Amino acid sequence: MVCADHGALLMNMTLTEVAEDGERIARVLRYCYDLYDYDMVLVFTDPYVEAQALGCPVTLDPYPTLRGPASNHSVDRTEQIIKAADILKSEIPVPVFVSIKGPFTLAAFLGGVEHYLKATMKSEAEATHLLQEALHHQLAYLRKLLSLSVDIMIGDPLASSSVISPGAFCKYALPGLQTMVDMAKAKNVRVGVHICGEVAPILKHLDDLSADILSIEDIDVETETIRMGGVGTDTILNGDVERIRSEVKNALGNRPIILSTACDVPPQTDPASIKTMVSTARENDPDHGVQE
Amino acid sequence: MIESIRKAVIEMDDEKAIELVSIALKEKTDPVDILEKGLISGMQEVATLFARKEYYVPEVLLCSEAFYAGFDIIKPLIGKSSQQSKTKVVLGVIEGDIHDIGKNIVKVMMEAGGYEVIDLGRDVPIAKFIEVVETEKPDILAISSLMTTTMVHMANIISELEQRKLRDTVKVIVGGAPVNEEFAARIKADGYSPDAPSAVKLVEKIIGG
Ligand code: B12
Repeated sequence: MVCADHGALLMNMTLTEVAEDGERIARVLRYCYDLYDYDMVLVFTDPYVEAQALGCPVTLDPYPTLRGPASNHSVDRTEQIIKAADILKSEIPVPVFVSIKGPFTLAAFLGGVEHYLKATMKSEAEATHLLQEALHHQLAYLRKLLSLSVDIMIGDPLASSSVISPGAFCKYALPGLQTMVDMAKAKNVRVGVHICGEVAPILKHLDDLSADILSIEDIDVETETIRMGGVGTDTILNGDVERIRSEVKNALGNRPIILSTACDVPPQTDPASIKTMVSTARENDPDHGVQE
Repeated sequence: MIESIRKAVIEMDDEKAIELVSIALKEKTDPVDILEKGLISGMQEVATLFARKEYYVPEVLLCSEAFYAGFDIIKPLIGKSSQQSKTKVVLGVIEGDIHDIGKNIVKVMMEAGGYEVIDLGRDVPIAKFIEVVETEKPDILAISSLMTTTMVHMANIISELEQRKLRDTVKVIVGGAPVNEEFAARIKADGYSPDAPSAVKLVEKIIGG
């Protein structure tokens, strides 16, 4: 998944310059698409777009950082994401996915990550209240995105089993994910769910969401849903040609698969590595889709 | 009583921990026993539950609160000679990285393991690590990184320590999801461990000899 931060670096812009302006977001993502020639585009700048819209302080350079829980000062960049998605949808012939946060992760950002994680066990009322606020916001945002007929990628990193128990996942994260997946599916767009880190204990639940795509770190598992991933973020950043090629080939031997990096391409990645990934995939599988 | 204190930590009950520690002190229980057999032993059990994936991050955070609630009462009562002040660890998340959940868990396990921890927080500049090694003279410098993009700075800290002739004054240990034994060896760190409970054992091993 090549994101706007990588594109910004290639085009000599700061992330702030890009992420606060829909036209520029579209321009850098278009640049990457032309450069790498992959088969889907993801509109993603940083994980904090919605949190910032709901009042969390956020700084974007030198790297996106959440500076605290929600306060009164809201900066709404969702309109810029919508603008970028709209431009790319009209310009690019491959599917355009837009990244949106899962309600659980958003609620955690709003409350402060550690504070919220504790609340899931000690102050259920507070945890549920923030979760409802997050879900409410995300459904309204999702509705706007769906009106553009773009595809949707829901990212919920804090719902990972690296962080919360399968029980907490089922109680707090799963219902909101299901509502969002159902809403997207009702509009006949493609919908993916991305959770990084450990997911083995919740894989069955993720599969049962009936999304179109599951983007996870370990793709050597069995699921009904098409998996997305295959190349580690460390591989794409530090791997030599051989290592990249070998992960691509391994992933292609594990179909059905949408070849991609396990998570966002680190911004400093050498473009040659991404090109190696795409060309290896094309050589080994000329008819199918690829995405980084 | 001490067993109930231990249980309060494991059961994430900070109020109970405060109440029981206060009662135990009134009953003239040795504070060192309260600490070691109650609070620390409780956190050791928490570490085991976490390693076994019976406890996750929220559970560990709440157990830590209960541990610290009791620890804060006990701390002033314990003499300098106790284990607490024997080994000093400076801990921080490397520059560019804001992932601090793991570091916070390492911190509480180290404190529960009897070490004095100076927590530099997250996104800590290389210069800050060096400065604190110089001023605090810790036995251990523990660096956390969760990203392949930031873990490379760990090597820079080590070479900076070498240049300043500080490398021999401190043992450097590294950790975080993308870090592994091989990487640690390559950057000439003194140790690596995959999780917080084993990080405590690692420090024990390094300090022990
Ligand atoms: C939760 C999470 C987040 C949270 C962090 C909240 C917080 N306050 O920490 C949020 C959502 C905010 C987040 C943000 C981002 N994240 Co993130 N995140 C994760 C996730 C899912 C889990 C990390 C975690 O907390 N694990 C639980 C803790 C308990 O485990 P731990 O940290 O590994 O720590 C244990 C051990 O490693 C060890 N340990 C840790 N430190 C030390 C130190 C020493 C000395 C020792 C001995 C041991 C030790 O002990 C700990 C306890 O047992 C990981 C996935 C993964 N595979 O890890 C991605 C991951 C780390 N994130 C990633 C990314 C890309 C990001 C973002 C850049 C996304 C973006 N595009 O903006 C931003 C980061 C911004 C920044 N500059 O840092 C990538 C990093 C990829 C890379 N380049 O390597 C990962 C690996 C996901 C992936 N598959 O690619 N993330």
